[in-house]
Amino acid sequence: MSISPDILFTIAGFPVTNTVISTVITDIVLIALVLSIRKFMSVNPGKIQNAFEAVSEYFYDMTSGNAGSRASYIHPWVLSIFLFIVVSNLTALFPGFETVRFLNASDGHHGVPLLRGATSDLNLTLALAVISVVMTHYFSVKYTGIKAYIGRFLSFTMFPIMLFVGILEFMNEITKLISFSFRLFGNIYSGEVVISTMYSMFPIGLPVPFIMLEVLIAVIQAMVFAILTMSFMSMFTDKAH
Amino acid sequence: MEILSTLGLEGKVFIAQLINFLVVVFILKIILYKPLRKMLNERKNRIEKGLQDAADAKIALENAGEERKKILASAKSGADELTALTKASLEEIKIKLTQEAKNRSEQILEDAKQKAAMEFENMNRQIGKISVDISGKVMMHVFSSLFTDEEKNKILARALDKIEKVGYEKKSN
Repeated sequence: MSISPDILFTIAGFPVTNTVISTVITDIVLIALVLSIRKFMSVNPGKIQNAFEAVSEYFYDMTSGNAGSRASYIHPWVLSIFLFIVVSNLTALFPGFETVRFLNASDGHHGVPLLRGATSDLNLTLALAVISVVMTHYFSVKYTGIKAYIGRFLSFTMFPIMLFVGILEFMNEITKLISFSFRLFGNIYSGEVVISTMYSMFPIGLPVPFIMLEVLIAVIQAMVFAILTMSFMSMFTDKAH
Repeated sequence: MEILSTLGLEGKVFIAQLINFLVVVFILKIILYKPLRKMLNERKNRIEKGLQDAADAKIALENAGEERKKILASAKSGADELTALTKASLEEIKIKLTQEAKNRSEQILEDAKQKAAMEFENMNRQIGKISVDISGKVMMHVFSSLFTDEEKNKILARALDKIEKVGYEKKSN
């Protein structure tokens, strides 16, 4: 299993990889799930709606606890990140991922996997990280003002200490991108490699505990990504911080 | 840059993933978050209204209890007043009735006395008449042999007149 996703075919110069297919599947599953929940949504909730509301309320309470009234803007992003990553991670554990092969001329008779976990592609995890960081900065400008925002990175008070702190803050934003994207990518990719290895060693029974572990990792990684985003957004939109 | 391409970072795919996620967020915001928050707010309002109604009902119940106590106290006070009034009225009526009965009995007694006096008067008159008649008969019988008829009649008339006068005088005394 290569670290980079496999290109299945190209459409007008756009390389369609197996992770792109998985991303589309994730989108479809997520939107279908949301639509089905919305269809049966009522003031007196059923079991599925209750579970969904519990997740939504968990993140909303956490966000409003940190960001107060700004939660209404931050919460949709946090919940979207969580839902997208968790659905993506969990769909990657379904049978067919990695095992169903796509044959093309360049890969010979073995072919390449048709589907691969979307979050095991650095393109997606980096895209999520960029969105998370960019939206954090956008909210920061919106709520604290451009002066306070720039002052966070460029300050001449207590020269040169605060200037150095500002440079560190800027460096932190770069490392944030790397930590966000590589943490998720590394966890999911390594999990897929482990499960793939287990399947190749003894396909019956042996992968089950690892799949269970991956379910846990899938949820935890989604939560980590969402909670860190929420935390950064809350911090950056706080004038006192 | 070499390492990034080794890790599979592809510019076009990266931008596609970026746009894809933004579209997903946009769709979720429209089809999920707005209706969900609206529904949750509606439920929150319902629960708050229910709690408020329950609190209002509790206050109303407490007020009703207080009102009940007040009404009971007022009713008891009214009943006591009414009882006292009734007692007083009864006493008054009793006295009035007793007085009336007494007056009535006195009236009846007086009437009876008057009736008895009248009866007695009538009886006296009748007895007087009878006694005059008897006296006349006795004197007629006594005088029949001593006097002539003319003398007898004169004496008799004078005697009877005398008896009659004497009788009345005695009675009036």
